[in-house]
Amino acid sequence: MAEIYKLIHPLKYFTDYISREVRPDGRKFDEQRNIKLNVNSLKTAEASAVVKCGNTTVVCGIQLELATPKAEEPDLGYLVTNLELPALCSPKYRPGPPSDHAQVTNYLVSDIITNSKCINLKDLCIVPDKLAWVLYCDIVCLDNDGSLVDACIIALMASLKTLCLPSVTYDNDTEDIKVNADIRTPLKVHGLPVATSFAVYKLPDRNILLTDPSAYEEEMCGGIGANFIVCSNEGLLCGTQKFGGSNLLSDSQEESLKISRDRTNVVKKVIETSIKNDNEFVS
Amino acid sequence: MGMEKNVSKDFKLKPMKCELNFLSKSDGSTILSQGDTVAVVSVNGPLDIKSTSQSIEKSTLEVLYCTKGGKPSVADRYKENVIRQTCETAILGSLYPRTGITVTIQELEDYGGLLSCCLNCTCLALLNSGVSMRCVYAAVTCAVDESGDIVLEPPKHQLQTARAVMTFVYDSREKSLVTSFTEGMFSEDTYKEALARCHAASDLIFSFYRDIVSKYANVI
Repeated sequence: MAEIYKLIHPLKYFTDYISREVRPDGRKFDEQRNIKLNVNSLKTAEASAVVKCGNTTVVCGIQLELATPKAEEPDLGYLVTNLELPALCSPKYRPGPPSDHAQVTNYLVSDIITNSKCINLKDLCIVPDKLAWVLYCDIVCLDNDGSLVDACIIALMASLKTLCLPSVTYDNDTEDIKVNADIRTPLKVHGLPVATSFAVYKLPDRNILLTDPSAYEEEMCGGIGANFIVCSNEGLLCGTQKFGGSNLLSDSQEESLKISRDRTNVVKKVIETSIKNDNEFVS
Repeated sequence: MGMEKNVSKDFKLKPMKCELNFLSKSDGSTILSQGDTVAVVSVNGPLDIKSTSQSIEKSTLEVLYCTKGGKPSVADRYKENVIRQTCETAILGSLYPRTGITVTIQELEDYGGLLSCCLNCTCLALLNSGVSMRCVYAAVTCAVDESGDIVLEPPKHQLQTARAVMTFVYDSREKSLVTSFTEGMFSEDTYKEALARCHAASDLIFSFYRDIVSKYANVI
């Protein structure tokens, strides 16, 4: 019966739930979905992570490559993120070249990583003007059930935290490059940026903030993806993006900042535990 | 035009100049300069569009953002997305189902704050085209400089050294936040202060809109 009701009166179905202080999947407004994380799951990548936030599943793998730095920035390496949203992750995407949404989300993810300054690109340079590391971070979404940016950032950060760079010797005269894959140094990661997505739903008398929205909730709130994303790294905000959906009043902003602080702690714990478990498993 | 003494004055924005009906063939068009930053926007619609992109519930909004360099990049796609989502909240799209509205933005000069100039220009062009709107909106850019002070509508040289740049869009009815777009790192307190400052500054833009519209209404 409920299913039919949902199809005939989609808006009323959703509003009935929200006005009774509960979301259609049974969560409270500020409740987030469980996070499951597994690091180093792909053996062909240098570092990798698989994350599940509720049903949203994202795989991230990092490949290393050597290249010459740009002439304008001779002492910087490269960090390239690439997000793939294949047709299998949601009926909204068609096979073919990357959709607008994939490009926008990819830009958001790489923007958060750059703004948070968690990776110093100078650390990726081996010999200025001659040789630098390129980190290709490929992120593939297997199942898109909302809050995609959050999951991408968790997967990416978990992979970066486990990444070890092989030692490289470069001969200035012969331009000979020797890579020793046995001696590895971990990449320095400064802090841990965490993104928290919200959907903003408008009831006649007030606005409701839904934490960690599912794809269905994002759609009902009128956005393509989440409406409001707060990112913070070590207590400093490194990006608050809001687009579409209902407008935001200042008290809901206070609330969102508080929720994002709590979530940062949870995500931090998840990543640390999962890396620790992986290390124990290896040794 | 010139950099007038708006360096440390709190609620004074760069001088704005605007002309409506700038292009003869568009349904609505505007050229807007904020200081030395200039953008032209043309709005066409509601028009017929191909059936695959039609929506039965509301009109489809298409935003094209053309830079001076001409080459489109992923960052431009992102700006297009920001502008489209902002316009979508302002336009009463459900009045024009199965149609399309195209907004074309051309950058002319960028001396800082281009995104907010484009957003304000788009709003005026939408007003000029006569599309039904829920509300108008105003965009304000501010920067956080190295000492942590907030500068409204920063000039270009300050943008390059700034710790963070934020653009906020407010609507005219509830004066609530429609869009926010930030770059760089900043603390929560700075964020709140920037929000409050831009909120106050948005009133100046709304009164500018009112002046422009009443000026052109007299001509008609």
